[in-house]
Amino acid sequence: MLDWIKNINKDYPEFWKLYLAKFETKSNRYVILSTETTGLNPKKDVILSFGAIGVVNDIIKVGDNFEVVILQYKYLHDNGLSNEFLIESKLSKLAEPQAIQALVDYIGNAVLVGHRIHFDIEMINEVLEKMECGKLKNEALDIEIMHQKLYDITNKSFSLDDLIKLYKIPQSEKNSASDDAYSIALLFLKLKSRLGFK
Amino acid sequence: MSNSIAENIANFLKEYPPFNYLSHDELIQVATSIGVVNLDKHKTLFQIDDKLHDSFYVVASGVINLSVIADAEETLLNKCYAGDVFGLRPFFAKNNYMMTAKAREDSIVYAIPINVFKPFVAQNSQVLDFLLESFATNTRNPFDKENRGKLITDNVYTENQTTEIQYFQSLAYNKTPIKIAVTTVIKDAAQLMTENLIDSAIVTDQNQPIGIVTDTDFRSKIANGRFPITNTVEKIMSSPVITVPENVSVAEAQLLLLKHNVSHLCVTADGSDKSDVKGIISEHDLIVAQANNPGVLIKEIKRALSPKELKQVREKLTDLIQASIAKNIPLPHIYNISGEIITAIVKRSVELAILDLGSPPARFAWLSIGSQGRKEQLLLTDQDSILVFEDVSVEKYRDVKDYFLKLAKRATAILEKVGYEFCPNGHMASNMLWCKSLTDWIKQYNSWMKTPGEKSNDISSIFFDYEIAFGEGKIEDAITDVIFNNSKNNVLFFDYLGNDTLRKNPPLNFFKKFNLEEDGEHKGKFDIKNRAIMPLVDGARLFAISLNLRGINNTYLRFKQLAMIDPKYSEIYLNCADAFLILSKFRTLEGLKNDTSGDFINIDELSKADREKLKNALGPMKELEELIKDKFRLTQFS
Repeated sequence: MLDWIKNINKDYPEFWKLYLAKFETKSNRYVILSTETTGLNPKKDVILSFGAIGVVNDIIKVGDNFEVVILQYKYLHDNGLSNEFLIESKLSKLAEPQAIQALVDYIGNAVLVGHRIHFDIEMINEVLEKMECGKLKNEALDIEIMHQKLYDITNKSFSLDDLIKLYKIPQSEKNSASDDAYSIALLFLKLKSRLGFK
Repeated sequence: MSNSIAENIANFLKEYPPFNYLSHDELIQVATSIGVVNLDKHKTLFQIDDKLHDSFYVVASGVINLSVIADAEETLLNKCYAGDVFGLRPFFAKNNYMMTAKAREDSIVYAIPINVFKPFVAQNSQVLDFLLESFATNTRNPFDKENRGKLITDNVYTENQTTEIQYFQSLAYNKTPIKIAVTTVIKDAAQLMTENLIDSAIVTDQNQPIGIVTDTDFRSKIANGRFPITNTVEKIMSSPVITVPENVSVAEAQLLLLKHNVSHLCVTADGSDKSDVKGIISEHDLIVAQANNPGVLIKEIKRALSPKELKQVREKLTDLIQASIAKNIPLPHIYNISGEIITAIVKRSVELAILDLGSPPARFAWLSIGSQGRKEQLLLTDQDSILVFEDVSVEKYRDVKDYFLKLAKRATAILEKVGYEFCPNGHMASNMLWCKSLTDWIKQYNSWMKTPGEKSNDISSIFFDYEIAFGEGKIEDAITDVIFNNSKNNVLFFDYLGNDTLRKNPPLNFFKKFNLEEDGEHKGKFDIKNRAIMPLVDGARLFAISLNLRGINNTYLRFKQLAMIDPKYSEIYLNCADAFLILSKFRTLEGLKNDTSGDFINIDELSKADREKLKNALGPMKELEELIKDKFRLTQFS
């Protein structure tokens, strides 16, 4: 219960201190994040790739982008993923700690947006714990909840595909984490304007 | 680091000019700098007088309307679809935007920063040319004089320019007119014109125009014996000549012809009659200059060999309607013109079907029904038609009906390709029910009129407005005879028809507010078709049939005619005629703006003055309803 007191003097890695320092100011930047994982259990499953893109002033900044594939060697043989995905794809590849560090550097103090974003955050926090860092401090917005709020629906869940169809978002044929992040970004802009919040 | 989103956008852009002139690496560089903007339907990206953005735009999906406000009216300049470039003003000018860009449907646009793209423009002349051209087509703004002059010299317009440009383009005309002296003998002048196959000659003095002789002069002054052909042309020439400068536009020339009621204009070096003659413009030149002239369209239809060609004509017709409305040409004229053109399209579609199937085994008539039957169709709506074939012997009946069903299927399919959707209620000649012999049709009309309500309470009023598009006029006459014979003293029929007219929901509620749609796709909008226009259409038809008004199918003309033959109520009829035009104009403008049937109007988007105008136009309907109740003694029903 008094964990936070213990943490005060804890010696974090350098990048984490920098990350924490960023929260002294408030950000107007949103980072739309999509995470691919091996499954839905934060304890057992691992992250395979990130795709992220920035939104500032209701404009998706194509240049403000982050994508990385994590080389999860211990899963290479039994997770059914093809070599093409892990080895031959042109995406940049990093080992887990480096990938998470790059991600943390990238997101900074932005508001995170995603589809069921809390699961993504939980997965990231799991790795951060291994790296002896704290938990992510970013505010987070979930487009599924935004949609439910817009229509006052509480008893039904919506997959990303459901939402994409509902809002008639043009879809690309590919389906990487980056493509998902882009779709989520468009959904986010639509929901944001319809919910009328700044 | 790689950026697959930029990669995707680059792949999209490379399909479209001017981006197709750039290399892949350059495109990635551009794409990486892009900002993606989401625009909900009706959302404005920038409007007139907004400060310039630091980006220009490419439509990624959806449609963006570019419009200007002229004479307090919003005029659509251009619709931008996926891949189209717009908002180029920051490249070429420093002052504020001259037009409004608004999403017509949910859209996504890419904002490309000017400073990123500028180097590519400087390095690549093809890119520059393309941008200049698109800027010019996006700049059809009469107020933007400053830039126009420059740009027109910079680039050559491609073929697919639109009406307005053609309208303002300069005219091609005869640059070597026949010039004669005042002392020329009439007979010699006529001979000269005949040899040159030209219908006019300019009378000059030291190459300055002092008069003109035309075919009309020969008819009105010579042929009727007023002057002998041995006189000099001085006696018969029209003087002074209306002169124009060399680079006159089609629009100006047309106005001058109308204003001075002449058939020719003389072109001079400085536009006055005190300078050298440079050429002559005839009415014919004007017609040729306007490829979208109705006559030309009909010619194109008659020559069309495929649905695709017909579709192109239909698209031109939309442009023509749009331009006509923008120029405030009275709606009845537009109805007439578009009615003729659409009838020609239907006729050609049937002809094409016949060319495919071989000659028909019996005589028949293809009737357009509903709005086209009334010649009140400006927007693309669904198609309604029936087919009536002459009676044939019993053993041939099956084959004949088979043929006509096949024919109708083909013709309606062609029309569908032209852009007329199939009627959702199946009111088409390709439906077994509505493709039958004359006897069967007579039976059908008899049952509708003598025993209305036997099968259902609805009366198919749509079948009482028809217009022959192809075939035997006599068959149409026969149907008309049946209707008017049946209508004599037919209280029951008028009871049903009258009640059908009254059944439409009132447009205004108790508090004189618009009754808007409460749910569904068009929630919050005003259903102008069913609440305002249809009651007038139905009312006009009701009175027209009951007062034996044959051969007039148009709602406006019906009211006008009713005012004449039923003078007691002429005021009501005339008010209804005007109201019908006003309401139809609202609907047409809405339809053209949004590419829809215009049935639903967004009241909030109207200006206060327009709202009042619309409300006032709903008044006459109330009077008409009272008149219907009174005339047909319907009070006990409603």
